[in-house]
Amino acid sequence: MSSDKSLLHSVYDGIEEHDNHLPNWWLFILWTSIVFSAGYWFWYHIAEAGPGQLGEYAAEAAEVAKRASGNTPASDDILLALARDPASLDSGKQVFQANCAACHGAQGQGLIGPNLTDAYWMHGGGPMAIHKVVADGVVAKGMPAWERTLGAERVKAVTAYLLTLKGTDAPGGKAPQGEPEQP
Amino acid sequence: MHQQRIIYDDTTVRRFIIASVLFGIVGMAVGALVASQLAWWQANLGIPYTTYSRLRPLHTNAVIFAFVGNMMFAGIYYSTQRLLKTRMASDLLSKIHFWGWQLIIVAAAISLPLGITTSKEYAELEWPIDVAIAVIWVVFAINFFWTLARRHEKNLYVAIWFYIATIVTVAVLHIVNSLALPLSGVKSYSVFAGVQDALVQWWYGHNAVAFFLTTPILGIMYYFLPKAAERPVYSYRLSIIHFWALVFIYIWAGPHHLLYTALPDWAQSLGMIFSVMLWAPSWGGMLNGLLTLKGAWYKLREDPVLKFLIAGVTFYGMATFEGPLLSIKSVSALGHYTDWIVGHVHSGALGWNGFMAAGMFYWLVPRLYGTKLHSPKAADAHFWLGTVGILLYMVSMWISGVTQGLMWRAANPDGTLLYPNFVETLLAIRPMYIVRFAGGSMYLVGFIMMAWNLWKTARAGKAVDGEATIVVEPPAAAPAPTRAPAPGWVQVVTGRPLVFAIAILTVTMFLGWAKPVRAVVLLGAIIVLGEFAWIVTRRDREAGRPSWFGLIEGRPLAFTVLTLIAILIGGVAELLPTIMLKQAVPAHGQAQAPYSPLELQGRDLYVREGCYTCHSQMIRPFVAETQRYGDVSRAEEFIYDHPFQWGSKRTGPDLHRLGGKYPNLWHYTHMMDPRATSPGSNMPPYPWLAEQRIVVKDAPKKLALMQRLGVPYSNADVDGAEARQRSQAEGITADLAAQGVQVAWDSEMVAIISYLQRLGRGPQDLPAPPEKSPAPPARLPAATIAIEEGR
Repeated sequence: MSSDKSLLHSVYDGIEEHDNHLPNWWLFILWTSIVFSAGYWFWYHIAEAGPGQLGEYAAEAAEVAKRASGNTPASDDILLALARDPASLDSGKQVFQANCAACHGAQGQGLIGPNLTDAYWMHGGGPMAIHKVVADGVVAKGMPAWERTLGAERVKAVTAYLLTLKGTDAPGGKAPQGEPEQP
Repeated sequence: MHQQRIIYDDTTVRRFIIASVLFGIVGMAVGALVASQLAWWQANLGIPYTTYSRLRPLHTNAVIFAFVGNMMFAGIYYSTQRLLKTRMASDLLSKIHFWGWQLIIVAAAISLPLGITTSKEYAELEWPIDVAIAVIWVVFAINFFWTLARRHEKNLYVAIWFYIATIVTVAVLHIVNSLALPLSGVKSYSVFAGVQDALVQWWYGHNAVAFFLTTPILGIMYYFLPKAAERPVYSYRLSIIHFWALVFIYIWAGPHHLLYTALPDWAQSLGMIFSVMLWAPSWGGMLNGLLTLKGAWYKLREDPVLKFLIAGVTFYGMATFEGPLLSIKSVSALGHYTDWIVGHVHSGALGWNGFMAAGMFYWLVPRLYGTKLHSPKAADAHFWLGTVGILLYMVSMWISGVTQGLMWRAANPDGTLLYPNFVETLLAIRPMYIVRFAGGSMYLVGFIMMAWNLWKTARAGKAVDGEATIVVEPPAAAPAPTRAPAPGWVQVVTGRPLVFAIAILTVTMFLGWAKPVRAVVLLGAIIVLGEFAWIVTRRDREAGRPSWFGLIEGRPLAFTVLTLIAILIGGVAELLPTIMLKQAVPAHGQAQAPYSPLELQGRDLYVREGCYTCHSQMIRPFVAETQRYGDVSRAEEFIYDHPFQWGSKRTGPDLHRLGGKYPNLWHYTHMMDPRATSPGSNMPPYPWLAEQRIVVKDAPKKLALMQRLGVPYSNADVDGAEARQRSQAEGITADLAAQGVQVAWDSEMVAIISYLQRLGRGPQDLPAPPEKSPAPPARLPAATIAIEEGR
């Protein structure tokens, strides 16, 4: 589409304005993006062929849940075994330092949260009792539920680590809260 | 026929330039300060007025409205007079415009550090200042359109089109987004809530970028670039297409700031596809700028003005490619809430706005003072400092944004989060914060060099006003037309481009509701109409018929009305359905209960301190987010949020499900010293919250005002607000006291804790509603729980 017209369209305050054709690659971008947009709208909102963002989320969540279902559920025996496994204790300690120490102190001596090194427990001191508090939290007392964020394995590891803190009576510990543990 | 001598009003231009340079230095210096605060929290200096969350809005407002605003006015006043061959209509209005705008800036600079803010991004100023902005904008508009009416040039050059679009659109955006009910002279509440407020805000926010930072600067480009290059503009027809496409499409793109939020899917999709369609129109502007230099590229080597202008246009091209890219939902999923966005806006602000400003100043100031630029060498150094500064800024923010986005979603093989601790992801990007600070500071140093250079230039010359002599034709007796032409307005409304555009748009509108078969028919109709339009237009052009565009370009009123319609279509199509929708009816789940009086007071403190500048309250539907923060946020949870607090950036973690996660003592400790609870955090401390008191008597007033906004408080609620406020506060105070922390019951600390503790759940001073279903069994994997609750 060539034109014999003069290139000059007009002049404003000395600025000449030419009237060149639009570059083809530019027109290509223009039309492609319009066609893409029409297709996108058609696919998601007319044909409703896509699941929508909540549908996508449900599928993603189901996939993650399926993968997590392979985990062995925690039990007293498993936790006690982990408490004797140096590799697991190492990772448990790391989890503790990164997530728990801010409230329970680096030695577990208690700051905002209760002392974890004395013999007193608010929700029971048995392996599974501690595991439940870490995993599900105690919302009324401000203990977050950690399993959702940390995942089952890390919760088990940190619980096992806590079992090793029990009774260490860290110096500068917070005053006891809860009931003494029944041996 | 006689000659007329015109003396242009260049005093106003000089004033706007001085103001722009001064406020540019201030705004960028504050920018460098807040950048340093993110790298070194100590730079918050421990006082409220210099804390990041209060200064960040000052930085954005100063740079947008003070630096670019004044620069834009300088460019518009200079070029408009010359393009229309007339002096500005009223020197008085010009003066009011200039001084009024500076007063507004001063008011902003005082009120924002004081915490007087609406928390709506780039619209933080409170209602008295908003009213002043509207008034001054109208003064500017009157002055401008009056000048148009007195012009000695029949047709309007493309620069003027962009100025018209700027003036009408900014007025519409500003007024709608600022609608609020005042509580006092320094506090108001948005009339919109939750999702609606979010949509209105980002319709505004995005188009503030479009019509405050882009269209006026494109107009300025169309004037100053060909002037400086002494070369013709590349293509008139490209300017028509990219102008109309830009003003029509831009306005729809706002929802791309809200992808994967609780905004309805259809609105998100519109935001995305219109952003994608913006790519070509934006590049049309870039092309017309760059190709002006066709055949004269060598000039770039010697002329610092052209260096700045061409680099500015190039950065515009980069930013307008990155924008559509970031608007694609899957890209937004990674980039949203991260520094990538910050890098993106700065490639626009520093590269496009800053360099266009510099180019324009270096060209203008010598002419305004009748002399030569004091030091082209220094200008050259400024260019290289600035360019390297921008590149350091952009690249560091790309790395930082992508790193953090990937770390947030990184998962272990069993599907759990690889970096469950948010601070880990923050520490990973800290080096990039230091690089960004260095890049931004380099840019600032270059800018200060420019200020010095312009100052020396001005001192070397003396102020001169431009002059022109024009030939005024007497209103000639029109040659008797052979056939009486239709009146002008009939020609305008029956013009083929307009008729076809209306026809195509009308058909397209029905795509919003169509089912597949009908939609295919509609698409067919659109293609046929488009093809027909193209054939007819081409035939008209070949026949040498006068162009309709030429017609409206000689009729400012018609042009303005058409521009207004073009920008209103997208706004109405997106905002109206969302606002009309009866929000009180929850779409899927339990609606939020209104805030308790104390929580409402605490919320105002959250707004005052600007927590939204670093924390979102919007959990997107990704497993990585629900694992980290809790269940997906739903629209009905925000229906009483005047204004919404979704935020747009996660320098810290999302807070929507913070309520009940930590004990009160944790919050107290965290506010006093964030690093005591979150080692490595860069959050500033807020110790003054423990000292300062809330205004106890405001509680009933706030509830009554919320009542008027439609929040279902009963009159008894309003009357009992003070007593209820006190009892809730004393509960928190007692809890803290039991653990050895003494705070007054009416301290701000207690109020903000009460607000934080109710986030994502109901008011905390009422008995919890009976659980509909028993708590999910503990062993169920987290993700499954989230789906069940999300349904």
